[in-house]
Amino acid sequence: MRKLCCIAIFLALLPARTYSQEDTQAKSGSPFSQAKFVPDISLILDCSFVHRNLSNEQFDNLSIPGVARWMEPLHAQKGFNLNYGEITFYSVVDPYFELFAVCHLSEHAFHLEEAYWMTKKFPLGFQLKAGKFLSSFGRINDQHCHYWDFADQPLVYGAMFGEDGLSEIGARLTWVAPLDMYALLGMEVLQGDNEGSFGRQGLQDSQGTVSVSSIDGPSLFVAYLKSSVDVDDASVLVGVSGARGTTRRDDGFSSGDQHGQAFSGETEIYGCDVTVKYPLDAIRYVSVQAEYLRRNIDGTLYFREVGPPVTRPASTEHLSGFYAQAVVKADLRWRMGLRCDMLRTDEGVMKELGLGGAENLPRISGMIEFNPTEFSRIRLQYNYDRTRYDFADGVPIKITMHELILQVNLAIGAHGAHPF
Amino acid sequence: MNKFIWIFLLFVAMVAQSAMARPLRVVASYPYIGDLVEKIGGRNVHVVSLARGDYNPHVIIPRPSFIARVRNADLLVISGAQLEIGWMPPILRQANNPSVQPGEKGFLDLSRYVTLIDVPASVSREQGDIHPEGNPHFYLDPYNIPLLAKAITEKLCEIDPSDASYYRSNLDEFVRQWNEKLKEWKEKMRPLERVAVVEYHKIYDYFLRRFGLPIVGTVEPLPGIPPTSKHIEHLESILESHRAQFILQDVYNPDDASRHLANKLGMKLIVLPHDVGAVRGVDDIFSLFDEIVRRLTQ
Repeated sequence: MRKLCCIAIFLALLPARTYSQEDTQAKSGSPFSQAKFVPDISLILDCSFVHRNLSNEQFDNLSIPGVARWMEPLHAQKGFNLNYGEITFYSVVDPYFELFAVCHLSEHAFHLEEAYWMTKKFPLGFQLKAGKFLSSFGRINDQHCHYWDFADQPLVYGAMFGEDGLSEIGARLTWVAPLDMYALLGMEVLQGDNEGSFGRQGLQDSQGTVSVSSIDGPSLFVAYLKSSVDVDDASVLVGVSGARGTTRRDDGFSSGDQHGQAFSGETEIYGCDVTVKYPLDAIRYVSVQAEYLRRNIDGTLYFREVGPPVTRPASTEHLSGFYAQAVVKADLRWRMGLRCDMLRTDEGVMKELGLGGAENLPRISGMIEFNPTEFSRIRLQYNYDRTRYDFADGVPIKITMHELILQVNLAIGAHGAHPF
Repeated sequence: MNKFIWIFLLFVAMVAQSAMARPLRVVASYPYIGDLVEKIGGRNVHVVSLARGDYNPHVIIPRPSFIARVRNADLLVISGAQLEIGWMPPILRQANNPSVQPGEKGFLDLSRYVTLIDVPASVSREQGDIHPEGNPHFYLDPYNIPLLAKAITEKLCEIDPSDASYYRSNLDEFVRQWNEKLKEWKEKMRPLERVAVVEYHKIYDYFLRRFGLPIVGTVEPLPGIPPTSKHIEHLESILESHRAQFILQDVYNPDDASRHLANKLGMKLIVLPHDVGAVRGVDDIFSLFDEIVRRLTQ
């Protein structure tokens, strides 16, 4: 009873108290409020509905010969997919720095896709950026998924850099030349942990016959030159890029797996790209983009048969590929595009797998897009894919895959404009 | 050794000399700004306008060549009020030019010098592509132009004080000519006072408000959203009670909905320029307003 009384008295006092609090707050406000310094925050959500002529299990067992299987996080399942949520933060820090961060959220995981600072006051056309960021290697590596022209990335990017692209911890210095024509020179020094092509972990065999030490500092170097000229109303952008770094792969070798193998070596990747965007009028445009990448891996393969590890020295592996795409903005809300992908696999790898020789593996994609506003996009994409093999029964079988993706991508909040 | 020092000093002096003597490199986001800067800066400025005057000012392709222009600029003049928000920020970020960043001496945001209308009390993207700071097409009020010219003059004087009197006399001359023109435009627009109009997009509000033409609707249901048949029906019912005479169409949006309305309701469809270079013959800020007035009054 006393308890009840107390509660009643408390409840009776409560409204009066809140009222007086609000009253004083309204008059004074918080003297230490920092509400106006909230950075630009946005959330991007990407969902899709996928149909394939293969079951999920069949699809998971497919691989592209000579290419480290990358876990495609987008459109992986038949039916509904929650591809990602992406939270971005951006603000100037002070007169000297800008800070940008992108948190990539999947259903049960959070990872920092990018988090970097940039200088604002470097003189003579220089700019320094450091942190974790998507390398500006090539044309599309530094573009986030929601800005891609298609629902998935070009094959050659997935094959070389994996699902997240070349995203590394390191520093970048760019220089814009003081010319009438756009010319940008960039250099990046990166830790080099990318699983698709690089890596710097040491290798160790339990018997001590193989020992490759780790590289503790940065092990990947990227440089590029991008330049653009305007031809009438068309903007032409060309770029050449190069990346060089150490490569370490360890598929159960150091852990003593019976069939474990490992690789240690050096990888070089070269790329060249061209983009032409031609406005037909104030609203419509045609954009053509093509890019070619080539990778050479040199190094030593370690594998175990029966007994002590065997070494196959001086193995060289080549992988190259290109994509060419054309996208048309047909009116204020509609865009459509066609993309051809091609991968050329390594001769040695193919022979080892019992597949004759080097092969060209194609994929063709078509998409049509409806953009109600610049913050919402509905895209239908069809992929015809002849790149994957089924190795399940020992005999590799080439599989033809048809894929239909209905994708919805929405953005809320303060999301910055995209570059060219 | 002394000789070398002298040669070095001479070299520094030459570089400094050439830096002082060369015209100020000014980059303007839109052509109307470029024209104003040229009128005030005269022989001392070299002006480049980024966007084309006949394109949608909200949606400009951020061409890489813009980066090179901003990289080499001594002064960047933008219209502001978030009109450039969809294309200018990445250009500025990639240009690696600290002297034209917002807040620096080499940066000028013209929207700060005028009073914006239709500032929304609250914003939501349900309302379409709305601008939280107010309607950004303030430069279509001819009475705002002298304020913008004055802001540009003060900025040029700040950057290049040695020639301040030249810029000020250019401003005086410009304002004198402009005031004469204002009288003429006011006179010509007087018969149109209280004539109700419909716009495609809320782009001519400043102009129409200034000369007393009430706006009874827009062809777009919401800013940036293309017309729907439902909205057009709704607009027709509004227009039955408010007699509007003109439908004002910009040069870059599709005009089929406006044309349909005009034909059905017997209204006159007038395509108006919105910037320097939007239509043939509009090659400076004077001819921009001459042409707007001419097309409305003819």
